[in-house]
Amino acid sequence: MTALAARLVQAAMVAVLIGIATFVMMRSLPGDAAWRIAAGRYGYDNVDAAAADAVRAELGLGGPVLPALLQWFGDLLRLDFGNSLVTGQPVMEEIAHQLGASVSLALVAVVLSLLIGPPLGILAGLRPGGVLDRALLVVSTGLKAVPQFLMALVLIVVIAVQMRWLPAAGHGELRHFVLPALTLALGLAAVNARIARDAMARIAGMPFWSFAQWKGLSERQVLFRHGLRNISVPLLTYLGLQFVTLVEGVIIVESIFGWPGIGHALVHAIFSRDVPMVQGTALVLGLGFVLVNAAIDFAVRRIDPRQAT
Amino acid sequence: MSLLKAEDITVRDGGTTLLAPLSLSLEPGEPLVVLGETGSGKSLMAQALMGTLPPELQATGHVALGNRELNAGDPDRFRGLWGREIGVLPQEPWLSLDPLMRVDRQVAEAHALVRGLSRRDALARASVDLDALGLSGAGASYPHQLSGGMAQRVAIAAARAGGARIVIADEPTKGLDAARRDDVANLLLTEMGETGGILVITHDLALARRIGGRLIVLRAGAVVERGTTREIFAAPRAAYTKELFAADPENWTPRRQRAATGATVIGAKDLSVARAGRTLFSGLSFEILAGGILGVTGPSGCGKSSLGDALLGLVAPAQGTVARTPEAHPFAFQKLYQDPVAAFPRKRSLGKTLQDMQGLIKGQQPKIETLLDALGLDPRLLARRPGAVSGGELQRFALLRILLRQPRFVFADEPTSRLDPITQAKVIELFVRTAVQDNVALMLVSHDPALIRNTGDAVLSLDPASPPVGGELAETTPAASFGVS
Repeated sequence: MTALAARLVQAAMVAVLIGIATFVMMRSLPGDAAWRIAAGRYGYDNVDAAAADAVRAELGLGGPVLPALLQWFGDLLRLDFGNSLVTGQPVMEEIAHQLGASVSLALVAVVLSLLIGPPLGILAGLRPGGVLDRALLVVSTGLKAVPQFLMALVLIVVIAVQMRWLPAAGHGELRHFVLPALTLALGLAAVNARIARDAMARIAGMPFWSFAQWKGLSERQVLFRHGLRNISVPLLTYLGLQFVTLVEGVIIVESIFGWPGIGHALVHAIFSRDVPMVQGTALVLGLGFVLVNAAIDFAVRRIDPRQAT
Repeated sequence: MSLLKAEDITVRDGGTTLLAPLSLSLEPGEPLVVLGETGSGKSLMAQALMGTLPPELQATGHVALGNRELNAGDPDRFRGLWGREIGVLPQEPWLSLDPLMRVDRQVAEAHALVRGLSRRDALARASVDLDALGLSGAGASYPHQLSGGMAQRVAIAAARAGGARIVIADEPTKGLDAARRDDVANLLLTEMGETGGILVITHDLALARRIGGRLIVLRAGAVVERGTTREIFAAPRAAYTKELFAADPENWTPRRQRAATGATVIGAKDLSVARAGRTLFSGLSFEILAGGILGVTGPSGCGKSSLGDALLGLVAPAQGTVARTPEAHPFAFQKLYQDPVAAFPRKRSLGKTLQDMQGLIKGQQPKIETLLDALGLDPRLLARRPGAVSGGELQRFALLRILLRQPRFVFADEPTSRLDPITQAKVIELFVRTAVQDNVALMLVSHDPALIRNTGDAVLSLDPASPPVGGELAETTPAASFGVS
């Protein structure tokens, strides 16, 4: 119960800090916000000084900073995120629409990374110092060192352009998932595999591992009954931290692959100075972080009774 | 008909013989004890019988189990025996249970996967097993919720659930106090019954005597003496066995009462110490004079180490005061740790570590050579790393490092619990002589009441079980050099 209360307080603090930070950052960006918003509404070719002035007057952009911020917090308390400055649609509707696309991409990426990383890591950890272990160290370090935008471009050039196996961009069909999800998954799996490898090697050296063998269990039975559950604790805990990497990755990957998700929308909202959209998107991502970590906390407590005390 | 017959079991590391040819047989209802100090090859023997030797060691010899004949040089064949024929009681039962699985399931899985019972029958059997060991209702617990003794009973149920009639127990009382040691011995004897067999490997004389049956004394990989346990304890024939028995703290000559000399170095008044909200002891008052030895004993968890930490100022007392003599430098109050290996940097030679220490000390300090001589250490050992000297030597180096600081008070926390009995006797003798000669006040902590009784000028027993109010002094023997109230 206290854990739940702590998470609620954390969520409130995240909301306040993100609200202030995004507001200040958006205000301190160079350039004329009215011009950018007008450009977002009507297209760059159709913007002139009159259109910009009209936007400025309509939105009261020249006004003082503090009342605008307080206004936003007041609206937030009433769960009103405001309207997009560009499309005029409620921010909530826009985000709800894009969030689904992002969440499905992120989920596919996480599942894919869990299918790639931990099995390899466990095999490597069962024979520390073996061929697989050393090869995995090189490959995972290499993959982790490649920035995601580069990884995305390499995959596009090789698989989409050269081999013509999969589309380079797009959304709506299953095959559109493969490249963006793989880009995200490889980065996650590079670290997953190391965590699983270290956990496996540590657990295989523990007395309870030998004891389980001495009870008469086969290698496979020991791994499935005593290995996986123990490995899952550090792996899950780390998954919570990886959420940050995932959000970063989603923003880049969505932009590159033209995926209509929340990251893509965030980038566009920043370009066109759509402050309510930026605030709303950042808030959803921040609260998502709190939610994911609370869920992982809960799961880890269920698996490991020692953490409950 | 023997349960197990081993012939000419030999263990080699390349050209070095670690265990000379050893034959033994295990009879139903008659325990077999293998007694020896660290490095005697007793654990290697057990590993050879189970096929768990590290791959760089080679074993030869034959093991006969029932009508099966196995070659000790082919360890993979032994795997099929685990749980089915041979059960192993692990050294540290607490760490040998999966921390994330309920204990009844850890027993049941051997019933289900090894003996092929259905899931429900296996759980029912596990619950019967646990009831029989006095663990009714503990099946749904996780290992961290059990005491060490309960964990040991779960471990023995799990080890035997696969149907093993033979139990091999390698140092089953490692780190246990006297009362718990007897519990383990009784448990093993009950589990063996009339038809089972147990092989107990230990360095603990009291455990060996308690288990009884037949005894093999090992030293440096060779059998020194064998016979029935009772006869050997009554009249040891081999010189080494005699030396081993003489080193037992029970057989030490008690200290002579000494007249009080010197000033009070450290004292406590009405001291209470709590850890994690639980009061360990309260209302403790005493003082230790220069050259005096306060022996502290009690079961594990009673607050022996916390008392020392409170004296050193590492733990704040819940109540009462600690008075350290004001003219001494804070560095003159030192602690000697239980595990000397953990107290030294692993990859630095001992000489370098001691020089580092000397560099930290301002002003006059004793010469390393003089101290080496006084502690009976070979100067050539200085070039070695901590892992390359014996435990007894390393603990003497730990003392030497403390003596460089010219201490006034040393808190020695179980300083010999990891040493074999003969080394323990020598090291304790040295500690005591040094303390008396250099006028150091010593607080010696041990779980072994006999050791404390025969070493300290006064004995402080911190046993929360005996006094009516939790944690008060149970038994004190005031000595001449200081008083315990």
